[in-house]
Amino acid sequence: MKKEFFESDIGEAYVKAIHPTGLKIYILEKPQYNSAYAIFGTKYGSIDTCFSVNGEETKVPEGIAHFLEHKLFESEDGDAFTKYAKTGAYANAFTSFDKTCYLFSCSDKFYENLDILLNFVQSPYFTQATVEKEQGIIGQEIRMYDDSPAWRVMFNMLLAMYKNHPVRIDIAGTVDSISKIDADLLYKCYNTFYNPSNMFICIAGNVDTEQVLKKIKDSIKVSEGLEITRINQAEPDSVCENYVEQNLAVAQPLFCFGYKEKIENEVRSVKQRIATAVLMEIIAGEVSPLYKQLTDKGLINDEFDSEYFNGQGYSAVIFEGESSDPELVAELIKAEVDRLKNEGIDKKLFSAVRCGMYGNAIRLFNSVEGIAMQLVDCAMNDSCLFDEIKYLKSITVEDVYKRLSLLDNEKTVLSVIKPMEA
Amino acid sequence: MSEKIIDLGKGAQGLFIKNSRFNTTLISFNFYLPLAKETVADYALLPFILTSCSKKYPDFSLLNYKLSRLYGARLDASTEKYGDYQLLKIKISVINDRFSLDGESLVNRASDMLLELIFNPNTENESFLETDLCREKRKAIEHIKSEISEKRVYAKNRLIEEMFKDQPYSVAKCGKIEDVEAITGKSLYNAWVKMLKTAFLRVNVVGSSIPSGFFENITEKLGTIPREDIPMPKNSAPACSVKTVNTVTEAMDVKQGKLVMGFTSQLFGNDDNSLPLMIMCDIFGGGPYSKLFSNVREKMSLCYYCSASSVRQKGLITVESGVEFENTDKAKTAILNQLDAVKKGDFSDFEFSSSIKSICDSLFSYNDSQNALDSWYCAKVNNDNLYSPEDIANKIKNITREDIINTAKGVKLHTVYKLVGRENN
Repeated sequence: MKKEFFESDIGEAYVKAIHPTGLKIYILEKPQYNSAYAIFGTKYGSIDTCFSVNGEETKVPEGIAHFLEHKLFESEDGDAFTKYAKTGAYANAFTSFDKTCYLFSCSDKFYENLDILLNFVQSPYFTQATVEKEQGIIGQEIRMYDDSPAWRVMFNMLLAMYKNHPVRIDIAGTVDSISKIDADLLYKCYNTFYNPSNMFICIAGNVDTEQVLKKIKDSIKVSEGLEITRINQAEPDSVCENYVEQNLAVAQPLFCFGYKEKIENEVRSVKQRIATAVLMEIIAGEVSPLYKQLTDKGLINDEFDSEYFNGQGYSAVIFEGESSDPELVAELIKAEVDRLKNEGIDKKLFSAVRCGMYGNAIRLFNSVEGIAMQLVDCAMNDSCLFDEIKYLKSITVEDVYKRLSLLDNEKTVLSVIKPMEA
Repeated sequence: MSEKIIDLGKGAQGLFIKNSRFNTTLISFNFYLPLAKETVADYALLPFILTSCSKKYPDFSLLNYKLSRLYGARLDASTEKYGDYQLLKIKISVINDRFSLDGESLVNRASDMLLELIFNPNTENESFLETDLCREKRKAIEHIKSEISEKRVYAKNRLIEEMFKDQPYSVAKCGKIEDVEAITGKSLYNAWVKMLKTAFLRVNVVGSSIPSGFFENITEKLGTIPREDIPMPKNSAPACSVKTVNTVTEAMDVKQGKLVMGFTSQLFGNDDNSLPLMIMCDIFGGGPYSKLFSNVREKMSLCYYCSASSVRQKGLITVESGVEFENTDKAKTAILNQLDAVKKGDFSDFEFSSSIKSICDSLFSYNDSQNALDSWYCAKVNNDNLYSPEDIANKIKNITREDIINTAKGVKLHTVYKLVGRENN
């Protein structure tokens, strides 16, 4: 296996290895820790609904990646949870827009658990009967999300923001779309996206790198790499609607306010992402003048947060929270963006934000879960775990100011969940 | 790792939880006060107002700026129920000095800041300032409202309220909206004084070393306050028994129903003899190997989630589930059938050993999280022995099948809470 070693001056180091199949492996040892956290993932999420493999084009129902995640836990010889129950590990899985991850954490029997993980993710077993049963379970999950204000406020915003990009669809699909899933379709998706060349394994904690690599080398089924092309319709720069609202059983309004960024490249570089994260803190972080203004006016509370939402072909700067007057919050954010464009960024504020983010980047290394998740980001973006710490030392106020030009007050969406009318 | 209790004066303890694996140091102040509906809202607001400003940092924005300059030090406030006590927590976590880019001592600065915030609030004429009070009251009310919006949380809170009617434990941890509205600058100041005078205090430091002179500083500060003789928090009683099961149904605009069931056990308190309750509850409805998950959720597909959790302090087991309205009664019967199975010993060695292994595995992970360690030792405040997570894991390994069956036999259904849609009511 090809191996690379990465080291940082904060005393952490990790190995990136590439299996002959193309599988990427990241391992960060934490010998002083009791536990370890492992993730086996694939670059396959809810947005991968239309793709071609070796020239052959396929369109699949919405929500199939999530459905596949549920089904993969079952193998011919029993389900994965039962196997983990024998070791005592905590196990789970999740599907997001652009990836599906299977994970476990444990403080004992790590290699047994790793065996279970490697095994079940590589052993698909779908029958018509098990697919039908799952349609019932996921149908209930979808209904639960229909009631979740935090979930709805976000997806309503994405629907209004994106005309064509599949990021606009619910990760779990709809009751109708999942009814079209059958065993053959699941195998088709599995054989495409669960090819090792499209996958990664990320591990942090009390493990031995060589032993882990040997175990993985012995367990990965050899297969030929595939040429996967994801087919997306062109996405306009503009948004569909600037405002959307829905009534749900909430006591006070929730909002999600997003800037749709023009995508010039398919994905954002690490530097661009970090500069944007700094910018968002400067616009509305806890040290920003806007945060003080919004709090003093009684418009936000501790739920107020921001997120840089980006992946293959989509990118948005999002502010969300609870407010008695979401429209005013959105207006004030827009005004602050304009002000920063005109007046520039305060150097003292920039330096405080950078200092805080530097500390947070170091803090991340306290948690094996946090590290493993960050390694997943490295696998997805082909970046280095220490990029953030390194770049935060050298970033300038000009780098951050440049990112401001991507925020266009015309290309925003405000999504609001209002209480039911009495 | 080793822990040592340090006496900080009347009703006050310091605990150093030495653990060198982290990049940060965590310091927490934990005030234990009796839970009562007359005082709950004022007390609950204290950790929040105290962490928003002080004499030295009169504006929250300035405080946030200082925290950011302190390499993103995290200041956190919370209020929780601990048996019949209200636990007010104020903590700070900061990266260790070795990461400082200009050689400043970050940990000492963070601990100084914490002392300033707790002992030197921004008050005038024995009253908190109106602007700070309004801001924190508004946020508290919005927080209570958002818990009402989160139906899973709401349903569980309602169950507890019904189940412990007329007992301190029924009191919501932040009080009711009208209680928060009634808080004044004066009443809050009085609550702060009373907290310092009468609360049992535990200060935890989790990290590689104690900031220099830190515990001595606290002892000195407490020495200037007329502290009464403050006993350690005591174990508290479970819910009053009922002749017939209490059922409460509420209707709201929701698409999916919630079914929450509350059970009592006479094994309560945080000591060794209630440990079997934790395992029994886990076999019943904890992990994916549990009765509820494998039968009610997986085999019968009755609920999207269906799980049991226990509050040993109170001898309380709750089962929470998300169900379609028409399946509520079916789910209730299925849940009770699974409890009966545990009572009859109808669980496999696999289910039993899976539970023990899973709980022990997670106990051994506690040492990898500062927050987990802090919470762990806060929940051990009234124990004579300062057991570590590993100590408890080793005790759990001795629990037998018979212990589980006997524990389950003593578990009784007390209250059922159902949340249904409007059109279904």
